[in-house]
Amino acid sequence: MVHETIAATNAVVTLDVALPGIVWGWIITMNMWAKSIGTGIIFLGFYLLKKHPEQTGFIRFPVVAISIVFIHIFLFFTVIDLHQMFRFWHIFFYPHLTSAITIGAWMATGFVGLLLAMAYSIYMKKDEAMYDKLLGWTVLLAIPVTLYTAGLMAQSTARELWQMPTESAQMILAALLAGSATMILLGGNKFSDAVKKDLAIVLGLSAAAAFILYMAEIIFGPMKAEEVAAVLHYIKGGEYTVMFWIGQVMAFLVPMALVCLSLKNQSYYLLKIAAVSALIGLWVSKHVWLVIPQLLPMS
Amino acid sequence: MQLGFLVDLRLCMGCKGCEIACKVENEVPLSTWRLRVKYVDVGTFPETKRTFTPLRCNHCANAPCERICPVSALHYLENGIVNIDKERCIGCAGCVLACPYGAIYIDPQTQTADKCTYCAHRVASSMMPSCVVACPVEANIFGDLDDPMSNISKYIQSHQGNVQVRKPEKGTFPHHYYVGGGNVTLNPLASFRGEGHNLFNNLKHLPIGGH
Repeated sequence: MVHETIAATNAVVTLDVALPGIVWGWIITMNMWAKSIGTGIIFLGFYLLKKHPEQTGFIRFPVVAISIVFIHIFLFFTVIDLHQMFRFWHIFFYPHLTSAITIGAWMATGFVGLLLAMAYSIYMKKDEAMYDKLLGWTVLLAIPVTLYTAGLMAQSTARELWQMPTESAQMILAALLAGSATMILLGGNKFSDAVKKDLAIVLGLSAAAAFILYMAEIIFGPMKAEEVAAVLHYIKGGEYTVMFWIGQVMAFLVPMALVCLSLKNQSYYLLKIAAVSALIGLWVSKHVWLVIPQLLPMS
Repeated sequence: MQLGFLVDLRLCMGCKGCEIACKVENEVPLSTWRLRVKYVDVGTFPETKRTFTPLRCNHCANAPCERICPVSALHYLENGIVNIDKERCIGCAGCVLACPYGAIYIDPQTQTADKCTYCAHRVASSMMPSCVVACPVEANIFGDLDDPMSNISKYIQSHQGNVQVRKPEKGTFPHHYYVGGGNVTLNPLASFRGEGHNLFNNLKHLPIGGH
């Protein structure tokens, strides 16, 4: 790391502790990625059931099943990342309500409860009206469940790169991207052209918006804070540059291009490739953004 | 009462007596530190000098670690110390990510967060923190910031204009002050940090079983 003051002072750290390294690594990336799918599929399921109720009724059970699976993957990776995972219950018995972790844990628990009730209503009782009623509440809870990780990153005062307004937008966009991609893969050829078009538009627009936000951060972030400038060196010619761009291309640029081509050519096959690319790229993008602020020395 | 700390960097000679005293008093495991002294060399030969900066928890009035802790393992004592309850900590490392001063680490033995507590157990018995006792030049000054007659308050008053905290822009309001500090000593981005200048190497595990 080189800073402008070095030229003047030639200051060099000659003895200190080792840098702590990456504390939140790929396990937390898995956490965020799985949560994006788990809540995103609920958003998209709600949208399709409202807009195209006749053509999408069959998605009710798959949507809730996929959400349950991915929310539990999210919870699993949340718990195994704890250094004292068998004390997880402390969050419920000694809750500290200023912490986004606590709020997130409580909301995720409520979200899982609603998902299980939805699964019960559609699988056991075959009651679509009850399912749809529960879905409305589940969507409402899915919003803060999606956003709480942004709150957690914002509470990480040390990491200047993670700013709340941007991260919350990125979390919602990630959920829409992952939700639409998963829905495209889930639907097979059962969806009508109108549904496919809607999913393609959501995928393409969320990819475009997320890409614009990342680029805006890269260009304008360094103008706001010295720490952001230092962190962004890791993806501007630093050790995470290649990984960052692989993520951006796969998560956003390829899906945007393929969505345009698929809409033009009426090709659902291209849309599926876009969906797979978006899901893989999202993991990579999230991982790089998670890791790079942790490389900076704090003291 | 609001306990605070002040280090006069003009007096510190980098003997690391405070580090050792802290290690012994608090049984801090190898490779981890509640307090350490960072060396930064400044200038170009022959015009060079070495600076010494003791770094520890700042016991902020608006502590990000306390706010982010999901189980209140990090909590305020009545005397202003940000204390940690290692029995309650779940090891989520949120505090490690939140602390702008890199003052919190995961204890490799207990797998919980740990940091300087201003020797809260000694303070409770009306004793000075161990690092204060160990310092041969009395560069560490500890006391009640709310008492205008305390040594630390008088020191701050008599050095107006030369008292700094680390990263004031973070809005954490540290209760840890430095006299005679500067950009190089207090800003981690103001110096080049190469590999190979660590206090310990990376040899932590004994290969067993022929591996």
